[in-house]
Amino acid sequence: MTAAAGSGQRPARPRQSLIVPAGLLAFLVITWLSLSDQFGIGFDLGAIIEDITNGGRILITESDSAAQRGLLVPNWAFLPRTVDPMLETFKMAVVASVVGCTVALPVAFTVSRVTAPNGVVLFLGRTVLSVVRAIPDLLYALMFVAAVGIGPLAGIVALVFFNIGVVAKLLSETVDGVDPGPIEAARAGGGNRTQTVRWAVLPQVLPNYVAYSLYTFELNIRASTVIGIVGAGGIGNLLFTQYRFFNWSNVSIVVVTLFVFVLLIELISIWLRRRLV
Amino acid sequence: MAGAAERPHPPTHAKRNLALLGAALLVGWAAVTVDVDPSEILDLPGGVALLFREMFLDPGPDWSYLPTALEGMIESLQLAWVGTVLGAILSIPLGFVGAKNVSSGGVSNVVRQLLNAIRAFPEVVLAVAIMIPIAGLGPVAGALAIGLHSIGTLGKLTAEVIEGIDPGPVEAARAAGGGSILVQRWGVLPQVLPEIVAFWLYRFEINIRAAAVLGVVGAGGIGFSLQQTISFHRYSLAGTAVIVVVLVTIAVDTVSGWVRRRIIEGAGAKRVDADAIAHPELAEVVTGPVERP
Amino acid sequence: MIRFENASVTYPGGVHALKDVTLDIRDGEMLIIVGLSGAGKSTLIRVINGLVPLSGGDVKIDGVSVRHAGSRQLREIRSKIGMIFQTFNLVKRTTVLNNVLMGRLYGAGTLRSLFAWYRPEDIEIAMQALERVDIVEKAYVRASNLSGGQQQRVGIARALAQQPKIILADEPVASLDPPTSHVVMRDLQRINRELGITTIVNLHFLDLAKVYGERIIGMRGGELVYDGTAAQADERVFRDIYGRSLTADDVMSEAATAAATL
Repeated sequence: MTAAAGSGQRPARPRQSLIVPAGLLAFLVITWLSLSDQFGIGFDLGAIIEDITNGGRILITESDSAAQRGLLVPNWAFLPRTVDPMLETFKMAVVASVVGCTVALPVAFTVSRVTAPNGVVLFLGRTVLSVVRAIPDLLYALMFVAAVGIGPLAGIVALVFFNIGVVAKLLSETVDGVDPGPIEAARAGGGNRTQTVRWAVLPQVLPNYVAYSLYTFELNIRASTVIGIVGAGGIGNLLFTQYRFFNWSNVSIVVVTLFVFVLLIELISIWLRRRLV
Repeated sequence: MAGAAERPHPPTHAKRNLALLGAALLVGWAAVTVDVDPSEILDLPGGVALLFREMFLDPGPDWSYLPTALEGMIESLQLAWVGTVLGAILSIPLGFVGAKNVSSGGVSNVVRQLLNAIRAFPEVVLAVAIMIPIAGLGPVAGALAIGLHSIGTLGKLTAEVIEGIDPGPVEAARAAGGGSILVQRWGVLPQVLPEIVAFWLYRFEINIRAAAVLGVVGAGGIGFSLQQTISFHRYSLAGTAVIVVVLVTIAVDTVSGWVRRRIIEGAGAKRVDADAIAHPELAEVVTGPVERP
Repeated sequence: MIRFENASVTYPGGVHALKDVTLDIRDGEMLIIVGLSGAGKSTLIRVINGLVPLSGGDVKIDGVSVRHAGSRQLREIRSKIGMIFQTFNLVKRTTVLNNVLMGRLYGAGTLRSLFAWYRPEDIEIAMQALERVDIVEKAYVRASNLSGGQQQRVGIARALAQQPKIILADEPVASLDPPTSHVVMRDLQRINRELGITTIVNLHFLDLAKVYGERIIGMRGGELVYDGTAAQADERVFRDIYGRSLTADDVMSEAATAAATL
């Protein structure tokens, strides 16, 4: 008691919470199980590195066919054949975005705490929406191809469901956070639920809705490459047929076209968002 | 009325109307020229109803397929997990290098563009075009595809989070004589780690959806079962598999979402809506001018 | 005529916000409610248009029960009651005119308002309401570009666009500076006198209450503790209502009040 006169006792070091070490342990166990050959996917880093070094053959190989000289030797003669499927992908994305985002608007108002008509509808709506969101785009495509046959229609419907999931979720969360003042004002003036949503809520979330819709359009361009793989139309179809015949030089061209197209759409979309929002 | 002002004329919105007309024309053109027959649209509800009935009602799901479906879904979860871990590990250094306040402007630009380029390709395309040729058919190719795609999104997010940090602690660590790596370890990491971990979990939730379908192209998981049962019209089996996908996905979403909220709240970081920002393209919009006072 | 018959409100948390209030408000009256925050002023106002449901007793407007009105009838009752809020409650992202047209929602019907096909007479009513509060020149301006006082005048215009018989104002000047507060209070007073609209205003500032009120009622702990004319309400009365001696926070700046009453 000589140095710091009157000072209280030094506090004991607070006990460390067990959450962080427990979380770390859980992480390590799950990762180890997932990597292991016996319980998991059999992830062997050495083998992968070996594969990567051997993988060179898909990058460049000798071949008589211009379509099969490897990813790094694109077959430019194939370029014109990508135009029509890419255009189809674009049209599919446009139609699906418009339909999906239109349907998503009332859905979002149904599954937001702020605008839902009552608790039962809110609960049911949220349950249905989480099922819709749990099904991946490609699985939708598989099912709709089975239901209506191969072609762009199956792809469009698959994208529509995918879009409803994305936009309704994002928008309902935005609606949850709107300023409640105008809602009270609309109700006080004798407005019903539809009118309240239209005039007190929609103007508040409109910029977000536009942004989500444009974003979904970008997602659709990307997703429609995937759904084409199961026969739902568009550029994915072309990609997968070329891949199946190991036409790496053609695959390369498709991938490049796709990349340029996605980038272009993204640039336009960003520009539009800046103008509109 | 005393000193009544003139009523203003309503604005004409000529530009806006022109833009709307253009958009309507584009949509009309797409709808008319897309290769869909009107009769197909009429057949759509019936076809979907029939499929739905066979999968879920009559004859409905065949539960003897449950073990196979569960096994496939577990493999999907595992490859999603491995892919997310790979993406997370590799995205940290890229995120630091991609942040303007940590590295130089030129370098961060190049890294950001690279990350954008990676994000442009869906996992399935990465699996088909790169990973299956390299690693062969199977879940490892799927995990690698998911990992590569995740680097793109997680790297961009990490960089953005780091750019948004409070510069105070970094200066403090620097003032105390810490070298550059030390500055980053003790000045930056604690601030951003909770948000970044929340993103990883969110990414894992998204990756499960990708992992559930990678099997369609032979990259492991339940996707293979889905593709086989549906293409061979074994709809009872397909119904079981779809139910497994939906229930497991929702269950993992719920648990992961709960953990995410705990992490974010525990760190006292209120500003992040992990869901919104994990769609990186939306970040600027969501945090943007919603309300202009 | 608004008649409170033993009106009581208990919130889900168990708070008794309104206890057995019985009160008559005559048509065309300018009534000011004073009391501490939490005294039940806002609740008293909101049971009139049913924004807060009653848990006991009743409120009748021209003999029609608010408590027993179905949702359709309640909307009809509300359409005749304009409401003005402390935080204005405008949709900031849209135009002033669109905000005022929110007062026409009931009159226009669902389909018309959904697609913004308002009848010309609805737009005329909205414009006249804006003219009455001298802000018609801002009709096509975004509400977010207006000052606080201007926003509150738009709020008043929105209430007027309902062509109401009653106006409820919940702390209409609490977010405004003293000079603007007087502008807004004078607007309310003028509307009350010129159009004969029953006007019920919650106020925190005693001096404003005395200047603009004809009749003042005092609330404390959810109960009605004073009901009389503004002239009778002296400092002792206010001390009773507040249950403590008055402080500088209870009056708006003396100078500004004096300037306004000159």
